[in-house]
Amino acid sequence: MRRRLRTLAPRAALALAGGSVLAFLVVPVLTVIPMSFSSSMTFELIPTVPGLTQYRRFFASPDWMLALGRSVQVALGAMVVATVLGTLAALGLRRLARHSRRLLEAALIAPRIVPSIVFAVAVYYVFAGAGLVGTVGGLVLAHSVLALPFVVVFVGSALHGVDPALEEASLSLGAGPVTTFARVTFPQIRLAVFGSALFAFNVSFDEVVVTLFISGVRAKTLPVKVWDAIFYEITPILPAISTVIIVASLAVLTPLLLVRRKAS
Amino acid sequence: MKRSTLARLVLLGPPLLFLLAAFVLPLARVIWGSVFAPDFTLAFYERMWRTPVYGRVFWITLKISLLTTVFAALLGYPAAYFLASVKPRTRQLLLLCVIVPFFLSVLVRNYVWMILLQRTGLVNRLLTEWGVINRPLELMYNELGVLVAMVNMLLPYMIFPVLSALLAIPPELRHASASLGAHPASTFWRVTLPLSMPGVAAGALLVFIVSLGFFITPALLGGPQQMMVSNLIEFSVRQVLNWPFAFALANTLLLGTLLLYAIYVRALEGRMPRTAGLP
Repeated sequence: MRRRLRTLAPRAALALAGGSVLAFLVVPVLTVIPMSFSSSMTFELIPTVPGLTQYRRFFASPDWMLALGRSVQVALGAMVVATVLGTLAALGLRRLARHSRRLLEAALIAPRIVPSIVFAVAVYYVFAGAGLVGTVGGLVLAHSVLALPFVVVFVGSALHGVDPALEEASLSLGAGPVTTFARVTFPQIRLAVFGSALFAFNVSFDEVVVTLFISGVRAKTLPVKVWDAIFYEITPILPAISTVIIVASLAVLTPLLLVRRKAS
Repeated sequence: MKRSTLARLVLLGPPLLFLLAAFVLPLARVIWGSVFAPDFTLAFYERMWRTPVYGRVFWITLKISLLTTVFAALLGYPAAYFLASVKPRTRQLLLLCVIVPFFLSVLVRNYVWMILLQRTGLVNRLLTEWGVINRPLELMYNELGVLVAMVNMLLPYMIFPVLSALLAIPPELRHASASLGAHPASTFWRVTLPLSMPGVAAGALLVFIVSLGFFITPALLGGPQQMMVSNLIEFSVRQVLNWPFAFALANTLLLGTLLLYAIYVRALEGRMPRTAGLP
């Protein structure tokens, strides 16, 4: 019995410590969900009369809907650009010698390493000169840069599992490079391509720092409107909007996690 | 032209041109603009270096980043150790606690910390209700608020490398140590901990690097005393329109980040999976 206690106590302590840290990671963000069902016009942490008032206000507001629509538009644009360019890059990297591959790979991943604020200032300055501040096109360009590294890494690692002999066989049997890609390579990396597309969408949909600079007053996205509202909005609509953003991210993320599960 | 060269050109040309136009050239403009205005000058760097207020901002940035790193290690290690100790199936499930928040909007997560930590926030209310405190504690607009939120957001960067270092330790080593009569605690101190140190080092460097560029958290949860370099850059551009000075600050931050990242890649090459903060 004493022996069991001696081995059990440290395990329980470990589970308690580890479990607390894991709870610290998930629980805080979830507290916003019950708050979002407040029906009063003032802030309530635990709603006395739960209701959908705040959601109705959000979905009935042309201003917020415009921002939401713009965010989706930008995210779709960035998703397409980043996925196409990133997949091309990953396919190209595979054909390079080790040294130049690592160099170019580092360049393609660099947007993840450079602090957002540095890229924000740089792109703001250049966009201001080119008349791209406050345009959806400008936002798509900047968000694509930020999403590109994820696509390169995800698709690149899926390509590791593709046997080049299969592609060579296809080519030597007379299929062109495009046919070979469509019929031999793509089916093997399909999940990674779709997964990184979803990921790219999420990166753009949640982006704040760079967007804060380049969205101007004309092209505010949902996160930028939220940012403004944090400083100026006093009514409790933000918990509802936060919940919408969380649900949107989870909707995008769930298929990704399922794919990951299947892969492992 | 050889067919393979053509293929490489077609595949790599568009993404690299895109990156050049939308990423490299804007950054080059920042570097250029910090020293040419329009003639060559180091005045902006000198101003940054000489003015005590700006020196303080750099000092605060380093201090907050360092404290975040220390707390992330202190909290992240037991979490990773716990994750490493459970069955793989349970681990897959528990890892969702680390992965899912990591993908959620950074802005929303900061906002939630604001409503939790404000004077009338959930934390203060619960503590008052339980009779722990009489009057609300100041939990935000200070260093505490910034640290709590930053550690919360950066913990995954610590947990992933530590966990993979722990999982890479062959269990035979621990069994050998135990069968030779070592107490579990001494097995931990003399076998597990030293062997997982590369993971801790990798995690610490990553957390520190990402901390240096933090902008949203100090802006929302910090007070004037918690202004970090990123916030000063934003202030210089958007409030006072001093572009060359903002460029000099941005360059300094960029240089520091790249230098540390180079150390990260060099020092941990081959020993850690090169995920560069990608989960």
